Amino acid sequence: MQLDRFIIDATTEVFASMVFMELVAGDVIREDRADLGTNISSMIGLAGDLKGLLSVHCPRQVALAVSGAMLGMEPEELDDDVKDAMGEIANMVAGGLKASLLEAGSNVELAIPTTVVGNSIRTSGFSGASTIIVPFSVPDGDFAVELNYVLG
Amino acid sequence: MDELQPLKETITGMVGLAGIHKGLIAVHFPYEVALAITSSFLGMEVDEVNEDVRDAVGEIANMLGGNVKTLLSDRGKDIELSLPSTISGDEYNFSSQEQVDQVILPFKAPAGVFHVELELER
Repeated sequence: MQLDRFIIDATTEVFASMVFMELVAGDVIREDRADLGTNISSMIGLAGDLKGLLSVHCPRQVALAVSGAMLGMEPEELDDDVKDAMGEIANMVAGGLKASLLEAGSNVELAIPTTVVGNSIRTSGFSGASTIIVPFSVPDGDFAVELNYVLG
Repeated sequence: MDELQPLKETITGMVGLAGIHKGLIAVHFPYEVALAITSSFLGMEVDEVNEDVRDAVGEIANMLGGNVKTLLSDRGKDIELSLPSTISGDEYNFSSQEQVDQVILPFKAPAGVFHVELELER
């Protein structure tokens, strides 16, 4: 399965249809990286034939720009609107990944999105899992979509 | 949860629930509690928040998730767990979207107080 391709396609689709923002995917990273310069991470669990966690990690200015474009407003803080918008993006990217996996014959179900805001936060999957990190660039900076997973 | 926020020098273990109920279970341990619990869990002294601590905290979340799923579904067959993961940091806020029922329970251990949080989509 081309999980990296599925993640890139799902993220690109969500940004085209919901955020109305162009984005460029960078080189895929396949190791756990502690420091992604993250101020806000939205995460959602996946269960079934693939068990995992999909996370969208953003620095502050990218989260403000992306959620502002999605909501049609100009947030200045990482407030509840921004957290909800970023959680919804994680939810929709995971939904796109779920659809691609189903086409490839794997059934997964989604949990609910959660958002963490802070400075120098570190997220980590468990040490036996595989990691795919896809960096993306938007006009306001870079962010990353990470999938920690094991195949069932 | 508001009185807990922001979580300071804390490690959160969480696991998602998917199926007939969607949600997540999270356990928030202050660092000193996480170190004491990991030391006890692994039977060795641990004095920094390292990979052993993250794995132990994730495994505790996973075991709690396993128990909750059997409570919510007959023998747990209609709910599946995602992968356990951890969040740690000097200071962070942990929040889910609206439209969830949430319960947060404090527990007291010899090393201090920690909280278990369950969220289920309505």
